Amino acid sequence: MLEKMMKTKLFGWIDERTGAEAILKSQLTEYQVPKNLNYMWNFGSLALLVLVLQILTGIFLAMYYKPSAALTMGGYTVAFDSVERIMRDVNFGWLIRYMHAVGASAFFVVVYMHIGRGLYYGSYKGPRELLWIIGVVILLIMQGAAFFGYLLPWGQMSFWGATVITNLFGALPVIGGFLQEVLRGGFAVGDPTLNRFFSLHYLFPLLLAAIVGGHVHALHVVHSNNPTGLDVHEGKSTIPFHPYYTIKDAFGVGVFLLFYCYVVFFNPQMGGYFIEVDNYVPADNLQTPPHIAPVWYLTPWYTILRSFESKLLGVVAMGASLAILFLLPFLDRSKVRSARYRPVYKQMVYLFFITVIVLGYCGHSAPTPTLKLIGQIATTYYFAFFLLLPFVHKFEKTKPLPEEI
Amino acid sequence: MKFKHFLTVAGMALVLALPFAALANEGGAALKHAEVNTADRDQINRGLTVFTEVCMGCHSAKYVTYKSLIDYPEIGLTREAVDELRGDKPITSGLISDLSPEDATVSYGKVPPDLSLIVNARRGGANYVYSILTGFEKDPDGKIPDGTFNEYFPGHRIAMPDPLGWLDHDEADTAVLEAQAKDVAAFLTFIGDPHQNERHAIGKYVMIFLILLTIVLYLLKKEVWKDIKH
Repeated sequence: MLEKMMKTKLFGWIDERTGAEAILKSQLTEYQVPKNLNYMWNFGSLALLVLVLQILTGIFLAMYYKPSAALTMGGYTVAFDSVERIMRDVNFGWLIRYMHAVGASAFFVVVYMHIGRGLYYGSYKGPRELLWIIGVVILLIMQGAAFFGYLLPWGQMSFWGATVITNLFGALPVIGGFLQEVLRGGFAVGDPTLNRFFSLHYLFPLLLAAIVGGHVHALHVVHSNNPTGLDVHEGKSTIPFHPYYTIKDAFGVGVFLLFYCYVVFFNPQMGGYFIEVDNYVPADNLQTPPHIAPVWYLTPWYTILRSFESKLLGVVAMGASLAILFLLPFLDRSKVRSARYRPVYKQMVYLFFITVIVLGYCGHSAPTPTLKLIGQIATTYYFAFFLLLPFVHKFEKTKPLPEEI
Repeated sequence: MKFKHFLTVAGMALVLALPFAALANEGGAALKHAEVNTADRDQINRGLTVFTEVCMGCHSAKYVTYKSLIDYPEIGLTREAVDELRGDKPITSGLISDLSPEDATVSYGKVPPDLSLIVNARRGGANYVYSILTGFEKDPDGKIPDGTFNEYFPGHRIAMPDPLGWLDHDEADTAVLEAQAKDVAAFLTFIGDPHQNERHAIGKYVMIFLILLTIVLYLLKKEVWKDIKH
């Protein structure tokens, strides 16, 4: 189909002026990809799909949403009312809003799978260090965008979540107080906070779109890793991206949409995980909810924060837990990429995945002494995983690598 | 090798599902179960009557307009019935209680919450509403005065006076009161998300379409990949 299209007169006219044929060939029909990628490699294209869905649904939501904390009847606000208006009165507003709310969680599900795949198969190693680092930047911007977006409905969790997180910046020495005030636009979370968060919530996806472009570009320079982690050379081991991986990704999209649409249409709150119960209560600055927890995708880092008695240490540890991801390509010294051939690393990385899930669970639950201890142990391993990496290759006996994939 | 992969994936899924299972049991005093059907027009309309005649003495549902009582097929009131209900309020007005927040504060010490989203805003949803309405008992410790003790309310002391008269009702009325509590729970579940029935109905077709699409894409993928050995 693509080849046929490229032979048309119209395409020729465009090609003469843009070099479209060369782009299509180098990026799709002649872009070489290892033939042995498994389904874990589908999550990249899925993340792109969800990003597009979020931007599209977000544009339509912004047509009706009003970022104002001015009070209306019954303790609600203009912002909360406008969200309910979308849910009740705007034609198919409920669908767009649920797609956007579920999409936020879906985005993190696919991106966490994507990152997990990169960790397991050593996709962060040379020559893909920058590709990985750009990816970490994307993760941070996503987390920011999600955090800003969660304030917009101006429910109890929106308000108190934003209060807790902006408080963290206040813990930093010297610039802390200033940073906190700038973020809030005042001394407490209020109408100015809502307005700037809305502005930033619109800005961050634009940044994401640009940086995702850089991520894909960097990928197309260094090419995909594969489950064996071997460097593959063009020829027997590779196949063109189109049609092989376009169709495989399309099948992945079908499977993803099955899950996504099931949640959107039949369980959009996901039992309080995707839209928290307390966020149906309008924000009230005089009443702190009994238990404040961020949405599930931020809870692992929230646990790391809570694992320290000192607020400053907690904030620093949380920052470090994200910042250390940037260093990963340089911490791991092993020459073998894939965990398939690295028995020690394989155990370590599986334990790391479990640790992140445990951290997430601890952060979502109301704090108890037992959970706090479990959280501290998990936090210790989270950092130990990274700090042990420079030494693992010294004693790890790697399995023999295959000649060809 | 393939089976091992399957085990890994299954194991991961289990670990992922654990927190969900653990959280499902959270929440203190077990609520009573209320059978509500948000597609049952009769039940929702009975609930609407309870709402307008009992709840609306103090509570509002500001996101539910009189006009929507005509428009939502699950309620489907006639224009005449709505005119009678709304009195001199405009048809675009929400279901607003005549009790002013100031008077409510004087009488009950607080402003009764708006009920438009109460089912979404409370853990247990419809079960919570049903349990509260049929939860007025005598305090076993004798500390909280009758009529302000509720078995299911967090902390047990509730500002809302027993709206259905549950505390001292005759045995013979139990079924009637339980039915009223369930009906109003059904109504509140419906107005918490008034497009839920439409959503479920469309969702079925979406899922059928996606299953077919995914099967076709899978077959297409197999066809395209048939010559690749890997």
